[in-house]
Formats: sequence, C-alpha cells, structure tokens
Amino acid sequence: MRKLNHVKASFMKVSQMNKDYLVRLVLIVHIVCLSSTHARSHDQIPGRPQTRPIAILGATVHRIDAPKIDSGVVLFDEGKIVAVGNQVKIPANATTIQAKGKHVYPGLIDSLSDLGLREIRAVEETDDRTEYGRENPNARAWVAVNPDSELIPVARAGGVLVAMTAPLGYWMRGQSAVIQLDGWTGGEMLLRAPAGLFVNWSAVHPSSSDDGRRRQEREKKLREFDQLLDEARIYAQRTNQVPDLTPTNVRLESLIPLLNREMPLIAEADLQSEIESAVTYAASQKLDLIIYGGYDAERCAELLKLHKVPVIIGSTYRLPLRRDDPYDHAYTLPSRLQQAGVQYSIGGPGFGGPGGSASARNLPYHAAIASAFGLSEEQAIRAITLSAAEVLKLEKRIGSITPGKDATLIIADGNILETESNVLDAYIQGRKVDLGSRHKMLNEKYLKKYSKR
Amino acid sequence: MRFASKLSFLFFAILFSPASFAQSLDTEPVVGLRDIRPNAFALTGATVIRQPGEVVENATILIDEQHIIAVGSDIQIPAGFKRLSCDGKYIYAGFIDAWSEQAVDYPKSIAGYWNKNIAPERSVSDFVDRAADEEKLRKQGFAVRLVAPQGGIIKGSSDLYLLGGSQRSHQLLDHTNWQHAQLTVPRSGPGERYPNSPMGATALLRQAFYDARWYADSLNMQRSGANVSEPEYNASLNVLSRHMHEQGFIFDASNERMALRAEQIAREFSLRIALRGSGREYRDIEALAQIDRPFLIPVNFPDAPNVKNAQSRESVTLRDLLHWDLAPTNPAALQNASVRFCLTTDGLEDVASFWDQVRHAIQCGLNPDTALASLTTVPAELFGMTNQVGTIEKGKLANLAIFDRAFVEEDSRVEECWVAGVRYRVQGNPSIPEETKWRGEWAVGLPNSTKSTSTRIRFEGEGYQISGVMIFEDLSSKSGSKGSASKNKNKKSSKTKELELKSLKVERDRITASLDLSELDAQFPSGISLIPVVQAFLADTDQPEPNPPVLNLQLPDGTQQTIRLKQTSEGATIASKAPSSESADETEEDVAKDASTEETDFIATQTPILRPLGAYGLSEPPAKHQSVVFRNVNLWTCGESGLLQSTDLLIQNGLILAIGENLQVPENAIEFDLKGKHITPGIIDCHSHMGTDGGVNESGQVVTSEVRIGDFIDNTDINIYRQLAGGVTIANILHGSANPIGGQNQVVKLRWGASMEAMKMQEAPSGIKFALGENVKRNPSRYPNTRMGVEQILRDQLLAAREYDADWRRWRAGERDGLPPRVDLQLQALSEVQRGERWIHCHSYRQDEIVATLDVLEEFGIRIGTLQHILEGYKVADRIRQHGAMASAFSDWWAYKFEVFDAIPYNGAIMHNEGVVVSFNSDDRELARHLNTEAAKATKYGEIPEQEALKFVTLNPAKQLRIDHLVGSLEVGKQADLVVWSGRPLSTLSRCEQTWIDGVKYFDIQQDKAVRDRDHRLRSTLIQKAMKSEPAGREISTVVQEEDRWVRKDIYCATHGGLRHETLSQGAQK
Repeated sequence: MRKLNHVKASFMKVSQMNKDYLVRLVLIVHIVCLSSTHARSHDQIPGRPQTRPIAILGATVHRIDAPKIDSGVVLFDEGKIVAVGNQVKIPANATTIQAKGKHVYPGLIDSLSDLGLREIRAVEETDDRTEYGRENPNARAWVAVNPDSELIPVARAGGVLVAMTAPLGYWMRGQSAVIQLDGWTGGEMLLRAPAGLFVNWSAVHPSSSDDGRRRQEREKKLREFDQLLDEARIYAQRTNQVPDLTPTNVRLESLIPLLNREMPLIAEADLQSEIESAVTYAASQKLDLIIYGGYDAERCAELLKLHKVPVIIGSTYRLPLRRDDPYDHAYTLPSRLQQAGVQYSIGGPGFGGPGGSASARNLPYHAAIASAFGLSEEQAIRAITLSAAEVLKLEKRIGSITPGKDATLIIADGNILETESNVLDAYIQGRKVDLGSRHKMLNEKYLKKYSKR
Repeated sequence: MRFASKLSFLFFAILFSPASFAQSLDTEPVVGLRDIRPNAFALTGATVIRQPGEVVENATILIDEQHIIAVGSDIQIPAGFKRLSCDGKYIYAGFIDAWSEQAVDYPKSIAGYWNKNIAPERSVSDFVDRAADEEKLRKQGFAVRLVAPQGGIIKGSSDLYLLGGSQRSHQLLDHTNWQHAQLTVPRSGPGERYPNSPMGATALLRQAFYDARWYADSLNMQRSGANVSEPEYNASLNVLSRHMHEQGFIFDASNERMALRAEQIAREFSLRIALRGSGREYRDIEALAQIDRPFLIPVNFPDAPNVKNAQSRESVTLRDLLHWDLAPTNPAALQNASVRFCLTTDGLEDVASFWDQVRHAIQCGLNPDTALASLTTVPAELFGMTNQVGTIEKGKLANLAIFDRAFVEEDSRVEECWVAGVRYRVQGNPSIPEETKWRGEWAVGLPNSTKSTSTRIRFEGEGYQISGVMIFEDLSSKSGSKGSASKNKNKKSSKTKELELKSLKVERDRITASLDLSELDAQFPSGISLIPVVQAFLADTDQPEPNPPVLNLQLPDGTQQTIRLKQTSEGATIASKAPSSESADETEEDVAKDASTEETDFIATQTPILRPLGAYGLSEPPAKHQSVVFRNVNLWTCGESGLLQSTDLLIQNGLILAIGENLQVPENAIEFDLKGKHITPGIIDCHSHMGTDGGVNESGQVVTSEVRIGDFIDNTDINIYRQLAGGVTIANILHGSANPIGGQNQVVKLRWGASMEAMKMQEAPSGIKFALGENVKRNPSRYPNTRMGVEQILRDQLLAAREYDADWRRWRAGERDGLPPRVDLQLQALSEVQRGERWIHCHSYRQDEIVATLDVLEEFGIRIGTLQHILEGYKVADRIRQHGAMASAFSDWWAYKFEVFDAIPYNGAIMHNEGVVVSFNSDDRELARHLNTEAAKATKYGEIPEQEALKFVTLNPAKQLRIDHLVGSLEVGKQADLVVWSGRPLSTLSRCEQTWIDGVKYFDIQQDKAVRDRDHRLRSTLIQKAMKSEPAGREISTVVQEEDRWVRKDIYCATHGGLRHETLSQGAQK
C-alpha cells in the first residue's frame, strides 16, 4: 500500500509540473514550425544546488562497494553522501524521503556514448560527432555538447546520470569527456575532460583477405602513429626549451597529455588481433589504454591483465561478429571477463545502431542480459556503476553509495535490471534532477486528447 | 596396284558417308596457288574408348578429312592413309566444354523489349572471335565448346564451336537449342536502372515470359481472323515466344538455392531447362535430384582457406572449410543421385588444372565412365549434336583426345587433340614421341679415331629435359671384340671414359651441345667442339625417319665433319635417368599428393554435410515426436485462460491437443518435466528482413509490387538460428522501404535446416509492403519528392489496378473487341489488394501521412493490414481504430530520422488503450533476439499488464498477419509453436531455453552447447588439414564469399554507424 501511495504521490508531483508544460507547449510548437532542423532546447530545468540535507529512508540501498542494505538510510548534504546504513542520525533540517520498497542505486554510468554531440542521426546538421579528416586528436567533445539535447533528459529518465561522450571518425577521432547529465551549460555538466583520446583501432587492421597486404597496411598505419607521437614529443621538448622559436601546432599540442599519461588512449578494438596490437602499441609507447568494444577480449585476457588494460564492453545486445560464434557470445562476454580477472565495464548502445545514444536509457538491460548469461545481479549492476567509474578513473567521486562520494544516485521502484522498473527520483551531486523528457511531455499531451472524449 | 587402288576406293565409298556437319563455305578467293592437301590418317594400336564403357583394344581409327570413317580392331588401312602409331595410347572422343561466355552487344533497336536486360534475340555468333584460351582448352582434350552470351537477364542463345578445325580458328558447329538466363542482375548490364535486385530480376523475367505468351496469343488471334489489330512488332517477344515452345533455357544457378528458384520459374511456364551449376549442389542434393534437370558443373574446387596466421584463421568460417573439403565430392554426389551433368571449365582460374580437378573428383567417388560421359555423350545429347560429336564412331567428326595413359591415372597427359580431323599436338607438354626421338645410344665414327676405339653418344631424359654423355672406349687391348654394347659394359671400369655434354639444348629437330674432345682421348683436338645432332622427324607422325641422325661436328679449328650416327641400343631399353633435382621434386610432390589424397578420403567420409552447411547446421532433421507433454509448467496462454500455474501441455502431431493439470497422455508421449519453467507462445516478429537472399529492396522503380520476397528466402541465414535462440518462431519478412509500393512479403516459420519452401508459412495470407515518408521521397531524380506525391502515387496505382481488373473481367465475360489483356504482375498484385486477397503492411511514421493513406485506401474500400513503425500512431490512434487498422511498432526507437523525432515509447500503450491491436517488432536482426523484453516496455512506459504486454509479441502480431486462428496463443487446436523460458518471460534476467515449432524442437540451450563442441572439433580438424595441404606461402584467400556469388546492392541498407554489428549488412529498414 505504501508503494502505491508513493507512486501516487510522485505522479501528483509530475502532474503539477505538467501545468508548466502546457503553458510552454504553444511556444514549443512554434519553434518546431519555424526552424525544423535546428536543435531545440528542451523543457527540463537543471536542478538547483542542494541547500538542505536529504535523507532517503527505508529503501534497499545498493551500495555496490559493500553488500546491499535492506531498509537502509542514505543521507547526503552539500552534494556529498554523508552516511549510509541502517542506523543513521538524521539532522533536524533534513528533507526526508520515504522510500520503503524502493531501491537506491548510484547513478548509472554509460561508459561510452555520443550524448550531447548528436540529435537526429539522419539529419547531418544535428550531428557533431565526426570532424573532417582522419587525424583529429585535438577535437574536444566537451566543447560541442549541447546541454539542451532532447536525448539527455531521455537517458536521464532511465537512470543514466553520467556518461562518457566521445567523438567519431575513421581513425583518430578526438578527445572524450565525462559529463553529468544535468546542467545549464556544457561546463556545468563536465566531470572530467579530457577523458581519453578515442581512436578507431580497427582502422589499423584492414579486413583484407591478403595477409601480405594486411601486414603492410597495418605497418603503415602504425608508422603514421609513431611519427605523430614522436613529433609531439619533440614539440613538447621544444616548447619547453625554446617556446618563442617553436611554431604552435594544435594537433601535436593535444597529444601531450596522452604522452604524459594524463589521459588514456581509448582504442576501439573488437578482434583479437586488433586488441593485441592496441595493447602492445600502447605499452611500447608507454601510454595508458582503455579498450572499447572488446568482443574478443577474453582471448587476450593475459595480455590485458599484464598491462593492466581495462575494457569497456561495447554493448551486450550485439550480434556475433563471426558466423561461427555462439549466439550468446556478447551476452556471456562480461561473465567470461569476470572469470578471467580482466577489469571491465559494460557500455550501453554507444553510438551504434539503431538508436545509439537515443537508446542510452536501455543501459541497465545491457547489464541484465549479462546477468541472465552468467554474472550475478550484483556484478551486473557494478558493471554499469562502480566498474565504469573505475575505468573512467572517477571511482573516488561516483559509482557507489559511499560516504564522501558525490550524491549522484537514483531511486527506482524495482530492480533496475528489470525492464518494468522505473526511476522515480534522481540526484546529481545532491541536485534533484528533473526526470521529465520530450517523451513524457508528448505522452501527457496526447493522453489529454483521448481523455477529452 | 590398280586393283588395290580400286579396292581402296570402294572401301572409301562404303565407309564414307556425307558429312552432316555444315562444311565451312570457303568463299574467299585463293591468292596464288591453291594448296589443298590430303588429310587421311590411320591411328593404330591405341586403346580406343568409343564411348563411356565401350573399350576397343589395339584399335585403328581411320580419319578422312574431317570425319571418322572407321573404328575397330581389325581394320585394313587403305592406301593413301598416313599411319600414325598410337601404341599404348588412350583415345577418347574429343571433349565438349559445355560452358563459356562471350560479351555481346545489347540490341539497340527500339523494336525490342522495353528493358534491355531481356534480350533473347541476341546471338553470340556475331561476336565470337578467336579466343585466347582456345589452345589451353585443346591441351586438355577439348574439341568443342559452348559459347553463351554474357550479361542480361534473358541473355540470348548460344552456339557450339569447334576449337580449331579449319584455317579459321573458331568454327561454328551449330546453334544450340538453348537460351540463357539468370535470376539476378547482370554484373555488366545494359545500364538499366531497373532491376537492381535479384528479386527484381526474377520479377522482370517472369513478366517477360507473360508478355511473350501474350504476344503469341495476340498474333494467333489476329491470324485466326479476329477483327483486331496486330500487336506492335517486338523483336524480343517474337523470339522469346518461339523459344518458350521450341527451345530450352539454361539458367545460371550460382548456388543450390538459385537452382531451385529456376525450377520454380520453369514449372510456372512449363519450360525445358538446364542449370549452370555452382559446385555447391551437394548441399541440397536430394532436392536437386528431384527436379530432374541436367546441370553444367564446374570443377573449380576451392583452394584451402587461408589459415596461415591467427587473424585469417579466426575469420575463416566452418562453412568455407566444409565447402573446401566437400566441393570435390560434388560430381560424385550428383552421379550418385542420378543427376545428368556435364563437367565444364567454368570458373577455373587455370584451365590447365582441369584434369587434376577431375581426377580429384574421381578420387572422391566420381566414376570415370560418368566423368567421360559428362564431357562427351551428355553434352552432345544436351545440345542435340549426337550425330556429330560425343563418340568415336563412323560418320562423326574426327574429334579425338589422345592420352598417354588412361585419364584416371595420376599425371596422365593429353598428347594430342584432334578437332574435325585437324591434328593439334600439345606443345610444351613433353610426350613420349619426343622421348623416343633422342633417347638411346648412338655410335659416332669420330674422325681420326683408330679402329681400336669406339665412341658413342648417349642421350637420357624425357622430352625437352635431356642430358647426354659422350662415351669413349679404348678397345686396343681387346682383340677380336665386336664392340657390342653389352660386352662393352664389362670393360667400362678400366677402359671407358664418359664426358657430359655441355650447354645441351633440345629443339624439335636437333640437339646442340659442346664438349672438349681432348678430354676423351689425346688423339682428339683440344678445345670446345660443338656437336649439333640433327634428326629429321616425319612432320606428321613424330616417328623418326629411317635414316639415322646426323652429327655435324664442328671442331675447334672451325672445320666441320658430318658423321652419321648409328643406333646401338633402343631408347626404351635404357633406363632413363632424369636430372636429379627435378626427380627429387617430383617425388616429394607425389608423396605429398598421395598423403593428401588419403586424408581427403578419410575426411570426406567423415565430414558431415550439415543443413545448412556450416556452423550450427543440422546433421539430421530435428526429431519429430507424435506426442509430447510438458509437465508442471507456468503456461502463459495469451488466450482466455491467461496464466496457468503449474499445468500440463500436450502436443500431438504438431498441434496442441490438451491443456490442464495431470493430463492423461498416450503411452508413446515424450515427457518433459519443466517444474519452475515458463512456456509462452512462440514469438512472432511482424517486421523482419532476415533470411533474405540478395537485399530486401528493389529500388529501381517507384512501384515494385511485382517483386516477391518469397522468391529469395535464404534458409541458410545464421540469423534464423540466432533468433530461434531468442524464442522467435514466425517472422514477417518484408520488402524494404525504398518505394511507396514495394514488393510482396513472405511470412516464414523459423524451421532451421528446412528447405526454402518449407520455411514459408503456407497458411499465411499474402501481403505487400507500402512505404511513406522520408525513405521514399529522398531520391531527387524521381517522383515522388514529397508526401503529396506519395499520396498521388498510391491513388494513381490503385486506379490503374481498378482499370486492369475491369479489362480482365470484360475479357473473361467473353468480350472480344480487342487484343487480350496482358498479364501485368505489378497491377495484378494491386488488384489482389483491392479484392482483399493481399494485405498491405505500410511503413509509416507521421500522423499526416498515416491519415492520408487511410483516406486513400478507404476511397477504394480497402482495409489496411498493418501500419508498420507507426511511431506517431499515438497522435491519431482514434483514426487508426476507426479504420480498423492494426499497428506494429518499435517499442522505443526514436531520433534516427527527423520523422521519428516525435516517437515516444508510450506509443504502443496509447494505441492499445485506444483499442488498436498493437505489436512490437524488431526490423533488426539483433533486436529480434529479445522481443520478450521489448514487450516489457509496454509495461514500463504504459503500465500495460504483463500478460497483455506479452501479446504484443505473440497473439497481436498473429492477428496482424491474419494467422491468429493458427498461432499466437497456446490453446487447444492451435499449432504448437512455443518457447520454454528459464524464468518470467518478460524478464531481462530470463533465458530462452527451448523453441518449438509445430511440435518440433528447433532450439535447445543444451543441444546448442553440444553443437558448439561438434563445430569446434570439425573446425580444428579441417584447419589442420588446410594448413597441411595449402600451397606453401599462400596468404591470399581465394574463397569467394557465399554472399558475393551474385550482385547484391542495396543503397537503402547501409551499415549502422559505429560498432560493427556484423560483417555483412542487411540492415534494418527503419
């Protein structure tokens, strides 16, 4: 009964907000008519900074870094988690949220996406993912994140509160950033930038059936990369020693953090040979590395462990790459990596088809299928929270319900891995986040059409 | 003498029968002296294989001019015939290569078919030129070949040509009785925009046959005196209508599925057909045996797949490995299935490997007589030339292939090829006559030598690989010796000197060498002497002239002495010693070949022919049990009974017989206790493009209602298996969305391992794809470019179909005021729509286009089958309900195109709540694997109760496809299509454990593991074998990918961006 009450209560809140929606509806429709290809600003208002302590009471708390607590309390203040447990002293000025029967999770983290960089895939003008040319190490994703992208509230409503957003391209794609999915500006959303240099390592391995040619082209590509890195090293030395005499070069400049291991190389690599060559290359150039995709990562487990290379699994709802592979190859990959002791996180749909980051809200189901095929539920949830934070080197701030970390968390009405569950409330650094979206707005609008009759 | 010549004349007269073969009319005036020479030969002493199975030992063949005039073992050789000894040789009838192609121009006349791909009037005879590979073919013993026109869909007729024969290189033997055709788009076509897909090509071909029939009927009607105007002259239809009656059609069948498709067409139009096969016939040999058509079969067995390095090895598929291993068994498989076939050089990269390949096939079980027949009597019969070619018989053309040994023997060689009496000796392919020319020892009477010495030259080796020594013997110590070879041998050790001849070169009539004679004996001059030995050989026979060879000794001082050589020992009696390096190579090669042969046999008997070939294929059909009972299951019936906890389900003969607790079941029932498991109806995907062969769009025209997805089902698509593993039992395979009126769809049941036809759900009513919006208006070079235009296309076509129907009604009612109406497949499909016999599945997004389309359909009294995608359906759910339309949507896709920016995941629930029958579909090979959790999104976003949500992927799509009386729910009497789940069926945490169709289990999660193990073992074995047998250093894979065997082009099927979803894309049609 309490559950029902809560649902009603939150529904009432939503309906109140809908009055605001209705007021703005006319305006929105006008914008649609006037500039059809321009990205429009959505209707959700970024949360205000936390002003009072908030205590969530009675929920099952999925702490991730420790066993879950049934009927626990989560207390957070000034954007940080203060206390978690069964017995927590709640300050007098605290706002309390009755959440019995609900589940508290850390905000879900999509380890790699193109959120903010694109709107409608087929409308080029709304797509800022791919810069011209093949070598764009200096392209910086965070400067092109549209905070008013309609895709962001949709992902957020699914519980995804943090995402790495990365550019695309044939070869050297650019630098990614980790963003929080709430804020008035891109700057406000930023959690870490740069987060890595995203490179399509499969471009190093042409799929030629001619071994000789393949060897040649691979070598050619790697030499290009060698040369670029060498030049960047020299550039760094010169700009230190004779800054006035060194002509500036933004490409080379952009590679210095990579060489200084201030950001990792993120190599999209699926096949064994691609993964192996990315790992050995990064090792030989003394670069930090993250593998994205990782379809064959289990076969490279020893190498990955030896060089401490984590893997972002490029989605689990994925067809086998080779005809002979088992139908569940991608489903079982997380559990196989778990067993092999490779560090990994599970990515959402990424930028792949059909929806790409328009489907980022389905991230929990990418973890769920891994659980149906081998992981425990705890491991599956960890793979889209704390494990993702670890891969992105943000584990000190997010990824678990731990005192001292950011109060970036969600309250769901059920097991987040199950489709039917919905997110009821979300907080990013203690700010209460608007869970409305274009979809909910249109739903409300047309429900009105039919309820009139 | 006179008497003899008279006799021989008589003999001639009796033997010689006038040639049926059209003699080449040499109308060209002779410049200078005429030079006509007699051409009469007697080939003696050979083993003659007159026809397969009929062997005559020690036979003589008499050839006069172009023909054989006698064959037999006791034939007197008349005067005037050159005798050619063929002792030890094997003579076969000259072979017929039943396939080659020639580029031919497309007709330019406007009096031809509107689409130049239909070019039956083309004939190769205007274009055949000296072919570069003619000699290569003769070296393999081919005397005749078929030349077919290249390109086009109905390509034109072929000819048979002699490979040589007269002074002219290419001599027409006769026109064949065959037209050539293919069911796909030509690689080098006439530049037509339509068709651009195999199914479009097939539709065009079908239409052309209907048009040809109509043309003939119209002409007949007019000629029979009816008061109608003659149909406009059409050269293509004129030819085609005649050929349909009088001639056969050879269809390209680039795999076994194409062969079966051609058979469908043949039956549809009662055509006599043959099939140009692919070498893949073994994969479905029973079906191909059943159609009982002759095949032209290539022997281009693939090289071992590239498994040299890890990357290549990973990417090689079990299917390719199996094909590599099984391909050489293909001819034997055809033979054992009693299929009539010709072996051809089709696709052979190197024609010189032809006999190696045939012998490989023989090792794999092909009967040598069948092999011979496939190159002689079978093609002769097929092409109606048995009176001229195919056997060694009196009156036939003197086409002969002369082998040094029986052709089954390893390394046997073609020595000569005779084409219409013209003898071609194989060059560069050393033969025994050349050996006998030189091999042996010859006495040399050297100048200055005393009587007490003997000098000899000995030549050793074969063909052009000859070495020689000069032997000098001092006989002075031996009194009374005659110097015979045998006695000399005894003295070699002390008295004999041997000196190797240097710079030895062999030409056809001479050997040159050099040596320093003084090294033999001091009495000879020192310095390099040249010793060219010249022998005159009889030009025609390769037999040495009775005169001994002559040595022109050119001494160091420049003087020349001519010396006659005298043979002291026969070549044959001297053991030939080939150069050591070569012989070592050969031996090694032989050993390797032997080893691989043994292994081939070993593997070939073990390698299973999986259905379909490759990983996850079945080695035998799935078990069919009469009765099956599932005990104690949670049964999600999707019917009125709702969810039944812990109940029993009894299946009999593929149908649901009973549901209830503690069911009494027949004794023979197979029992499954599935306590704790859940069973749902099989999942039905109402929008799919998987299992198609060669693209899902015919985008060459705006209206392609004549095109049929059902023509191109790919029952080998691995996605069938993958989707079974996700519980899918039925899929609605739709044409793509490239045009407002697309092709006809096909509902299939995912019966993995079954034939193309058996995949089809025959009970499902017909349908057709329509499409609106961005996809169909995006091509700026054609109509329509707007939604306004789309609407008009629909109206215009429905009006046209209405008129078409009226024409036919009048005709059937007996009105004869004009020519008969033409069968128009495009309008026929649309008139079926108007009559309610074909359901429209319309790709649609925006509310305006949805309403406009429903308005148009209502104008014609048509109820739509389904609205597909229908992502703005929630905006006009009332209108949809009012029309009686059903909606098949994505659960939550959006933002991939502008027209789906308003798509919301609440769509399904809103429409459902407004009374519309809603399903969720995949339109995607990956998404189709978890439609159960897609259904859960109706609960997530619209609070649809889960039993109702489950119907979104079971009962509701069944209703939409008008098959809900058969499937879609688990109720007594319905087909037993069901899925066993490990837990709650809509849960992301559940697994599909079994999938059953018609009471037969097609997927089982346990069996799947066993199959993986089987495939892994098979794969490893074959890779080991490939590593051992591939040519050293080979790094290039020569395997033609299954998917590349015909043109596939689908501009509307681009890969999804980003992550690779699979190597081959037949992506979604959103």
